[in-house]
Amino acid sequence: MATREGSFSVEDMKNVQINIGAVVKEAEEWDQEMGPHPKPGVATLRNWDHIIANRYKIMYAPADDTCTLCTYGPCDLTGNKKGACGIDQAGACGKIVLIACLMGCCAHAAHGRHLYHWCIDKFGDMKFDMGDEILVDSPLYQTIMGSKPRTLKDFNEGLYYVEEEVVQLLAATHTGQEAAFIDFESKALHAGMLDLLGMEICDMLQIVAYDMPRGAADAPLIEIGMGTLDQNKGVLIAYGHNLAAGAEAMIYAEKNNLWDKVDIGGVCCTAHDLNRIGLGTGELKVPKGIGTKPKVAGAMGWWRKMIRSGVMDCIMVDEQCVFCDVLGDAQKRKIPVIATTDKIMLGLPDRTNDPVDAIVDDLVNFKIPGVAVLDPVKAGEIGIRTAIAVKPKRAEAKVQNLITETQFQEGIKKCTTCNECAFVCPPHIRISNLIAEAMKGNLAAFSDMYEVCVGCGRCEQVCPQGINILDLFEYANRQYVKNQKFKMRSGRGPARDTEIRAVGMPIVMGSIPGVIALVGCSNYPNGTKECYDIAKEFVDRGYIVVTSGCMAMDMSLYTDAEGKTIWEQYGGGFDGRNICNTGSCVSNANIGDAAIKVATIFAHRNHRGNFDDIADYILNKVGACGIAWGAYSQKAASIATGCNRLGIPVVVQPHSVMYRRTFMGRTDKPEDWMVIDARDGKMQQIEPAPEAMLYVAESKEEAMLEMAKLCFRPSDNSIGRSIKLTHYCDISMKYFGKLPDDWHVFVRDVKDLPLAYKDNMMKTLEEKFGWKIDWKAKKILSGPLRPADVSFDPTNLPRKIRTKK
Amino acid sequence: MAAEAKKGVDTTKNPIPFEMAQIPGPEMAKTYMPKVIGAIIKKSKRPLLVVGAELFDDPIMFEKAIEIGKMGVTIAATAHSVKGFVDRGYMNNVYQIGLHPLTSYLRFEDWKGLDGQGQYDTVIFMGIFYKFANAMFATLKNFNRNIRRISIDRYYHVNANMTFGNMAFNPDEYHAAIDELIAAMKK
Repeated sequence: MATREGSFSVEDMKNVQINIGAVVKEAEEWDQEMGPHPKPGVATLRNWDHIIANRYKIMYAPADDTCTLCTYGPCDLTGNKKGACGIDQAGACGKIVLIACLMGCCAHAAHGRHLYHWCIDKFGDMKFDMGDEILVDSPLYQTIMGSKPRTLKDFNEGLYYVEEEVVQLLAATHTGQEAAFIDFESKALHAGMLDLLGMEICDMLQIVAYDMPRGAADAPLIEIGMGTLDQNKGVLIAYGHNLAAGAEAMIYAEKNNLWDKVDIGGVCCTAHDLNRIGLGTGELKVPKGIGTKPKVAGAMGWWRKMIRSGVMDCIMVDEQCVFCDVLGDAQKRKIPVIATTDKIMLGLPDRTNDPVDAIVDDLVNFKIPGVAVLDPVKAGEIGIRTAIAVKPKRAEAKVQNLITETQFQEGIKKCTTCNECAFVCPPHIRISNLIAEAMKGNLAAFSDMYEVCVGCGRCEQVCPQGINILDLFEYANRQYVKNQKFKMRSGRGPARDTEIRAVGMPIVMGSIPGVIALVGCSNYPNGTKECYDIAKEFVDRGYIVVTSGCMAMDMSLYTDAEGKTIWEQYGGGFDGRNICNTGSCVSNANIGDAAIKVATIFAHRNHRGNFDDIADYILNKVGACGIAWGAYSQKAASIATGCNRLGIPVVVQPHSVMYRRTFMGRTDKPEDWMVIDARDGKMQQIEPAPEAMLYVAESKEEAMLEMAKLCFRPSDNSIGRSIKLTHYCDISMKYFGKLPDDWHVFVRDVKDLPLAYKDNMMKTLEEKFGWKIDWKAKKILSGPLRPADVSFDPTNLPRKIRTKK
Repeated sequence: MAAEAKKGVDTTKNPIPFEMAQIPGPEMAKTYMPKVIGAIIKKSKRPLLVVGAELFDDPIMFEKAIEIGKMGVTIAATAHSVKGFVDRGYMNNVYQIGLHPLTSYLRFEDWKGLDGQGQYDTVIFMGIFYKFANAMFATLKNFNRNIRRISIDRYYHVNANMTFGNMAFNPDEYHAAIDELIAAMKK
């Protein structure tokens, strides 16, 4: 029997069995029609993915020439040969890319699933309310799901959707399933999109449940740095991404008036989220303002430096980005470890059901190095009580684990300059050179490289002399650690609708030259300062700069001549010459959200169940570019891929070649740069804008130049194009000493030319490129790819053609 | 001693990936003496010297790159290395391009090259961040095997066809090796 939605009467019926399926909710109050693709399946947006892949050629850099995934193998795929199963090198790379994106997607979605259950259990269902200034409150959810969540429980549907899609995608990676690399990439783009959704769900849940700021440009400045952790108190470190246990520790400290005895420091994204709690304007179920009390100890890249510096007394780990040897490092220093989620249990006994007193006693007296406690409330209490009680007991161990000057000297004398360490160091620090300088009494070299060192410790494992190289770094930078005290703006959450209304037109027309999003982790090619340098370059130039996660933390560690951090130099609005900290890793969703909101709030595009339409709008009209300058994990690969499907190009650092796949346009192929003019359906060649979707830069200078270029969009008006070209050329002159070779490609009219270079550029256009110029009228008569046209409406989707009635 | 000097710098030693774990598979680069590599470059019809930002760490290498450029080898200045050529007033056959887009183009047989004269038959990498160069070599190794991949960097590059062994900690020897290579090209 066919079924359909509706109501019916049951009067006068006898002996009838009625089966009721899902109860259909009351019709939603949403004036947007449902778009064509609510809850898209694996193949639903394949056409859009192929549009991306046809323009931005999929490029692989295999990290391995072999495939070892099944028992037919190992197979040699060198030179794109096929393995025994029939898959070629490109397909094998695509498979690994998909698996990596699924890892990232699952990390965020599982985080969201945990938070969903936890928040419903702890707080009960709550109204999903982002405040009066954020009415488009879950842009990704609405765009992908085609529905609006009204309460926290409504997010369950989104999580179910992600989970089902992930199962389907992972199935495709089995031997004998998908083979075509382009379809692996379509699936990876799907995983990336799911990741954006999972992140948004995660952040929305915690924003509402923990009353975090909802688009607060003036979110408070909080303390960051190892030096901020008060060594007169017990120091509890909450390390990872899931705030649940750390928040409970804060609440326990608050309720028991223990802040004078304990300091809580967050590491990695848990730090961001702890410092957002209770700072919002919504329903308050947590202590008001409590988010200003913990410190941000630092980004995950500082972890091993942090633990060796002796600044902590107890560690709670939750999930994601936790170094796998955390327990061994802690045990050596008598720092008790509490594992608080089932994602990371470290081989520790599950003591969730044991009495708190017994667990604290065992930890404080070092009977066990750590415990797994999967109840956040209990874990929080144990963390606080253990940190306070263990502090005096581990005082001796703390001192013993800090090397003395004599030990430092003994260590450096053992170096034979074999340079085995340099062969395994990710940034290839010439450690023997640092030691040679230290032998002369100069520790500056060790200090200069402290922020370049990613703290991986691979050097120590290969040193034939057994030198504890990270300890040498610690000794040489002990004073720096004490002085590492800075200010960072607390995560503000999404862009407000009012902010989008104000900047929508300038972004689309180009007079705000672009939105630059700095995201990702701590594996920078040349140290953490590059985060600050890149952010400052663009915020100074009037771009909207948004950031999150570890990059937001790392850029906080530097000041200008007046001693101000970047957060103290600029406002926190979603506006030109401002810098927003959206929050933790999952707050990255707010960046995609902002791009969607430009389409829906400024341009009145229907976004409901309409992903490809919105992505097409963003690709052609929203000059946004992401940069993951320290990205190291699969989450970063997944986020970047999700941004790519949403039409946002991303620049990554050179280590990111390990992701294997990028999307690169061919600017020498005019046919690749044809779009539809939605006004009349005619095809139009455009300049290559944006010219790449995923670009690997070798140096920060190259990254900045490329980011400026990737903010060009076909829709720029002449004022906007002139401003964008100005910055593109200025950055090139500043760091490259010359104008970029391709500036002329982006010129459509004299008005597009940057004022500072106008006359010289006109001469060059005529003399070098053969353009015809009317010098009296100061007009370009011929030469450009296309004329400037303010009402040009570029699209890649035939359904967007506006037919005349 | 004199015989050793005549033989030149031994660049075949230390064939260990500069990132030790970069072991890609059955096909790994062989190390060659500078004069052999120099002769191969000289014989190439369309060689392209690709240099990166590490030249700034050892600026004399700009001079050596320019010397190679003056022999008619087109130079692709990746990252921001073009500034080194601008500062030295040599831009005759120097093109500014990122290593990533350059390698992307090198994949395609129909690419016309930086000068519009056609695809290259040999690429020579020098002064590029190791992991990045390694990955871009891997792209060519797997997806365009018509281009010969040569490294004259101070590292053993496992995904090249021809490379030096590791000389990362012997700058003088490395400089001498490059000089020998240049001399071989001039013969």
